[in-house]
Amino acid sequence: MSRWEYFIKRLLLTVPVLFSVLTFLFIMLRTGPIDPVAARLGPQAGAADRQQLRERLGLNDPLWEQYVDFITDFITFNFGQSWVVQAERDILDIAVGAAPATLWLGFWAILLPLFIGIPLGFYAGLNPNTFGDYAASLGGIIWQALPNFWLCVIALAVLRRTREGGELLGINWYTLGPDFAARDISITGTPALEWFSTTDVLMLPMPYVSDWTALAIDIKLILPPALILGSASMAAELRIGRTAMLETVNSKFVETAKAKGLPSRVIVWKHIFRNAMIPLLPVITSEAFLLIGGSVIVEQIFNINGLGRIFFQSLTQGDLPMAGALLFLFTLIILGLNILQDFLYTVIDPRVGYDQ
Amino acid sequence: MPDPKSGEAVESTKRRRLLGLLGGGAAVSLAGCSDQEPSDGGDGSDGSDGSDGMDGDDGEDGEDEPQRTNADKAQAAWERAVANPLPEDEELRKEAYIEMEEAVRDDAAVIPLFHSFTERFWYDYVDVPVSGALGAHWQQYNTTTVEGQSELNLVNDTFDELDPIMSTDTASSRVITQLYENLTAFPNGVPVIENQLMSEYEVSEDGTTWTFTLRDDVQFHDGSQMTAQDVKYSWRRTVESENSERASFTLNQPVGLGIDAETDDDGNVVADSLAIEVIDDRTIEIQLVGPNPDVLDVIAYSSFSVIPQGYVGDIEGYDGEVTHQEFSTEVANGTGPFELDAFNVDEDVTVVRNDDYYGEVASVDAVNWEIIEDSQAAWTYALEQNADIFSVPTFAYEADAIDAEADDRGRQVGTYGPAGELNEEVNYVGVSEISTYYFAFNVSNTQRAARQAIAYVMNKDQIVQEVFAGRGTPAYSFLPPAIWPTGNDGYNQFLDAYPYSLGESDIEGARSVLDEAGITTDDPVDMTLTTYESQVFQTAGELVRDLISGTGVNLSLESSQFSTLQSRGEDGDLEMYSLGWIWSWPAVPYGMFQLEPLNTDTSSMPGETNGFYLDWQTRLEEEAE
Repeated sequence: MSRWEYFIKRLLLTVPVLFSVLTFLFIMLRTGPIDPVAARLGPQAGAADRQQLRERLGLNDPLWEQYVDFITDFITFNFGQSWVVQAERDILDIAVGAAPATLWLGFWAILLPLFIGIPLGFYAGLNPNTFGDYAASLGGIIWQALPNFWLCVIALAVLRRTREGGELLGINWYTLGPDFAARDISITGTPALEWFSTTDVLMLPMPYVSDWTALAIDIKLILPPALILGSASMAAELRIGRTAMLETVNSKFVETAKAKGLPSRVIVWKHIFRNAMIPLLPVITSEAFLLIGGSVIVEQIFNINGLGRIFFQSLTQGDLPMAGALLFLFTLIILGLNILQDFLYTVIDPRVGYDQ
Repeated sequence: MPDPKSGEAVESTKRRRLLGLLGGGAAVSLAGCSDQEPSDGGDGSDGSDGSDGMDGDDGEDGEDEPQRTNADKAQAAWERAVANPLPEDEELRKEAYIEMEEAVRDDAAVIPLFHSFTERFWYDYVDVPVSGALGAHWQQYNTTTVEGQSELNLVNDTFDELDPIMSTDTASSRVITQLYENLTAFPNGVPVIENQLMSEYEVSEDGTTWTFTLRDDVQFHDGSQMTAQDVKYSWRRTVESENSERASFTLNQPVGLGIDAETDDDGNVVADSLAIEVIDDRTIEIQLVGPNPDVLDVIAYSSFSVIPQGYVGDIEGYDGEVTHQEFSTEVANGTGPFELDAFNVDEDVTVVRNDDYYGEVASVDAVNWEIIEDSQAAWTYALEQNADIFSVPTFAYEADAIDAEADDRGRQVGTYGPAGELNEEVNYVGVSEISTYYFAFNVSNTQRAARQAIAYVMNKDQIVQEVFAGRGTPAYSFLPPAIWPTGNDGYNQFLDAYPYSLGESDIEGARSVLDEAGITTDDPVDMTLTTYESQVFQTAGELVRDLISGTGVNLSLESSQFSTLQSRGEDGDLEMYSLGWIWSWPAVPYGMFQLEPLNTDTSSMPGETNGFYLDWQTRLEEEAE
């Protein structure tokens, strides 16, 4: 089987996965402990009101009919309205409104570990059993062991103390870079993401950065939470990067390359790097999966109005359609990432396929 | 304004998490409100003709003593108060309410635990009037000045509606107060009623026809003149709009105004049948189903806010200038000192000064609320001086840093700090709010001696100290001290007469009252305490269980979902339970009606009766009038 056939097969396999997720969601929502009518109306509603709402929500229809409606609604992104969290508003609107902040956070939470964790890991792998290796590895393990919620609280407490005199290593976080103190901006809050405009290039709107200060503010705002959110994966990348590097360095083809006199720079970048990336790829893509779950806590503590916080609210307040819709969207994202991962695999590693 | 942190269950679940942090239970308030369905006729009617309310069908009385019981006493007192609604009978009503309190206390049918205590802190560059017992969400910021900046910055909780008839929570009412106004108001949340959009009123001899004269200099934000038509339209919305959450406050008595209206077969109000008559542009007249001494208090509640006639088309006869969805989050057109600028749900709200305000025009250009749910984030925001008025979360709170004295309204006013991360001294006010959180018993399922024993061992001071770090007021009466009918002195007298060892855990007292009733460790009684998911009540329950063990009462604890607790209460299936009541306006009967013994009959709940789940039955043959 060619690797492209393998890829298409993987693509088709997501369809049954999607349906099982939808079915599972349907069962959870309909048989779960929360009565949708009670969640929406509250206990002071009279029997007539309840009956009316049951009818309106279609809860009196036969179950198979509800199931078909549910599946068609979700597949066509027709999620209906929120019940509790932002009552009567379209769920898709709410999700679209909250998504940019989460994407911004996720983007930096993936980028930072990539550019810190992997280089550190590769450095450690290239210089095994040196002081630098031990320092990097130990640091990585400790960093990974610290829980996110704790890191968030500590980070906030430390950063806000730098404001008046209590500077950390001589750094006042508020005046470092774009001055937050002078602008009356809090170090918590939702990034505005209003630093880009679009211009028409060959009739196509192209985004460009129109306000560099606003961009700097948004980056500064998101750095602490992104660093914390990415902390676990940063450490994982470091450790796997180190192992992968070590393994590749000691393999026979590297020895051959050395023997035929290739400069070590070429060996490292052309031969070792690419092969060491293979075990790292699933780690990187599965990070996105962790980020969705982890962003709940980080968004809550840093007061970022993103998908994670809305998801948390809808779960704790019994907003079933919203929680269901967000779970469905998360599923879609994860399935999409899995496909991306398979695609990258087929590109990086020509040996990938079912038969081998 | 909406009752603090109250509302329908949906609303309250939203706040349950938040209040969990504060140590309270948002959900509790809905205990009270939940029973006020528009469909039940209010108990004013069955109270005033008490004789036919007592006609035997709910007569299975659990007690056999022949003498007049405490329930009889309470029932008689309630009926006396309801039968004498006119202003000149005020003294008589006051006595009656205190008699009810005494009856409740002597039977230990309800054991009050605490009144919530809120504290407010503000930096020295802010000058804001001290808020009162009804809560700071009643405060309009036109009299607040901020030195050195043009905006007032505050923190708010999440909310999702600006429609006054939908608002049932404090978060939205903080904003709604700036945008919309009522005929009357409690300025700064101090429980003293004042005119707002009204200039004068008249009431008929029998107390059922009220005529309000409006101010003639009031404009909406769009520049149009406010008239009596607008008031009528706004009040019709409270009962006819499907968005209304407080129709009962318009229709019922004594837990509302009790405006006369026709209902159709389904119990819905017929369009335009509400007995409100526009006499002329400035005069409006309402017809009540019976006399009501609290009219001026009730119309200060936010659902009675005035919006321009026909602004929203959710009642018959109007197409609406804006859709209801726009009205709830995007636009506002009221008479208040601020106009809505932007509302980003879950992020922030900004209102800007109304330069044409008829009263004192605000000194700040704008008021901005950052919406923050997390206490770490909110505390950071406050320390950065991004919030000018703020609260201190319990983890950062240092009780010793308070330097305050009680003022003439019993508020603690003074300074706080420097303490912890807060490097400067800030202004401070602590107010005991008009709410009561309590344990109650289904009287016919429990023995009086056991209830009294629990009252003896429960040390409320200790519980408040342990659970709230002292940020609560121990409660000894159902009525909070701020609205005690006979004032501060009267309240202190009541405290002096408190029979269950004030301020200590009196295990000996419990033992002796149990001995008298023949309850000993050899012949114990079992009782179950059902709490909703509230840290306060669960901790209090554990303390009481540990203290009472070994006296002959075996208390077991269970916790249930709020709605489950309510429906079990309505089924009469509870023994001891926890709930709370928050006053939407500072009137004694709005609260007391739930203690009228006949109204606590769970066999006709929900529906005919809407009191506490006490089954506190009177002896029917001893009619008390």
